[in-house]
Amino acid sequence: MAMASSDRPGLFERTGAWVQRSWMFIAFFVGFFLFWEWSVELFDIPRYILTPPSLIVAKGWADIDRLIYYTYVTGLETVIGYVVALLVGLPLGLAISFSSILRRTIYPFFVCIEMVPKIAFAPLFISWLGFGLLPKVIIVFLVCFFPVVLNAILAFNSLSEELTRFCRSTGAGAWTTFFKIRLPAAMPQCFVGFKYAAINATVGAAIAEFIGSDEGLGFYIQIVTGNMRPDLAFAGIFFLTLLGLALFGCVTLAERLLIPWHISVRRSRP
Amino acid sequence: MTSLIELTAVSKTFGSGADAVHAFGPVDLAIEDGEFISFLGPSGCGKSTLMLMIAGLLEVSEGDIRLAGQTVAGPRTDIGIMFQDNTLVPWRTVQGNIELQLEMRGMPVSKHGARIDMLLDSVHLKDFAERHPYELSGGMQQRAAFCQAMVHDPKTMLLDEPLGKLDAMTRESIRKDLQALWMQQRPTVVFVTHSIEEAVQLSSRVAVITPRPGRIEEVIPIDLPFPRDLDVKNSSEFARYVRDIQEIFRGYGVI
Ligand SMILES: Nc1ncnc2c1ncn2[C@@H]1O[C@H](COP(=O)(O)OP(=O)(O)OP(=O)(O)O)[C@@H](O)[C@H]1O
Ligand SMILES: [Mg+2]
Repeated sequence: MAMASSDRPGLFERTGAWVQRSWMFIAFFVGFFLFWEWSVELFDIPRYILTPPSLIVAKGWADIDRLIYYTYVTGLETVIGYVVALLVGLPLGLAISFSSILRRTIYPFFVCIEMVPKIAFAPLFISWLGFGLLPKVIIVFLVCFFPVVLNAILAFNSLSEELTRFCRSTGAGAWTTFFKIRLPAAMPQCFVGFKYAAINATVGAAIAEFIGSDEGLGFYIQIVTGNMRPDLAFAGIFFLTLLGLALFGCVTLAERLLIPWHISVRRSRP
Repeated sequence: MTSLIELTAVSKTFGSGADAVHAFGPVDLAIEDGEFISFLGPSGCGKSTLMLMIAGLLEVSEGDIRLAGQTVAGPRTDIGIMFQDNTLVPWRTVQGNIELQLEMRGMPVSKHGARIDMLLDSVHLKDFAERHPYELSGGMQQRAAFCQAMVHDPKTMLLDEPLGKLDAMTRESIRKDLQALWMQQRPTVVFVTHSIEEAVQLSSRVAVITPRPGRIEEVIPIDLPFPRDLDVKNSSEFARYVRDIQEIFRGYGVI
């Protein structure tokens, strides 16, 4: 922004500052994994129940090809479901917030559906549509769709009274008002929905795969657990976590690019 | 000749039935072209309500408001209005926020560069043109909002507590600028305030509004020379106007 780039601390200083602020967290994190590593020995936990982190890394590395391929499979399901949920949810939320008919029909219907755990539909979709990509995409879509729509409705309905009056006092048309005021003002609340959906997207994909699939990280975790290989299960969980973080990271990045002015973004900057 | 703004038996009730709040009126008032009139009254007496009704942003419950000969039946775009809470948007800079008013009206931004600079200069915000509202203090935001409200050069200005969040010194300096601007261009100004001293200093007339439900108790012409600099403010006539108005509010138990 107004800050000149030369005032900005370098990468080295910033990393230093981060360590200084977060050393307690880092110490706790490292300590947790060390405790895990040693407690398996110390309490004599059988390897088929729990494996130390070092072994997870070693065994996971040995199976890396399969893990990467399955990450791709699950990632594809997640991303397609998520993107479709955004592409459908955002315009629909917009339409509902501007149409009193839709607000009295579809909106209450959505609020009811929101109460239903969407994951409960997973077995049905698998039985209707088989083991392929489509049923997983649909389940991811269902999990992501509602937070996106409901937050979009909230977003487009909560323009402050003062700004509404300002718009009217200028005599601006509906389009001008929408693009210059309503849309940017709604973005922060929309992103609340996008982020919530991003967190849940991989959960939906994994559970759908548990229920019926022949590839993907959820499938992998289930099979290796059945084979008494918790080491590989943890490796699968690790990649599933990476996938979730990557998606969430992309959304956060988009948020920073699109609404750098918003308080939630400004606060999180160092 | 008819007045620029004419209020006839205007009153406002919010809600209906048992929950109805009689907020304002009935009130009759005529505001002349080129005068500076203040609405002076305690919090909640209906000053903002009245201003919004004149702007056509709030419907009257009863009565009739005419602006420039026409009954106000919807938002009036031929005026400048500064709202009580500022209408700066966080995604634009100060400059961008001022341009927003022009863009919303479909006026060419490029032709108004000089006017924007002049306005920013007059409120001492020139160095902050490229800052975002959240980088400004409350008083600076208010000054930016003033520029936003006035950039399209309206001949009628409705200002809702425009100096409310300013410190005493800045307030004094902006009053001076506002008065100079008014003396020079003679716009019609409707000025909402709850400072007696401010109302007396700036106005050609002060409409004293009673506590809720607000009514106009008295419209007091302030017969003091302009510009009302410190000499005028220290005069005994000035003090008498302030005291008379204080007496009215004391009668209502407000002070
Ligand atoms: N939308 C609304 N619904 C119900 N009552 C309202 C509404 N807006 C204002 N009022 C009532 O109308 C009265 C006048 O409000 P108004 O905002 O005009 O006061 P004000 O004189 O501007 O006060 P302040 O100096 O605090 O800004 C208040 O008592 C308030 O409770
Ligand atoms: Mg008010």
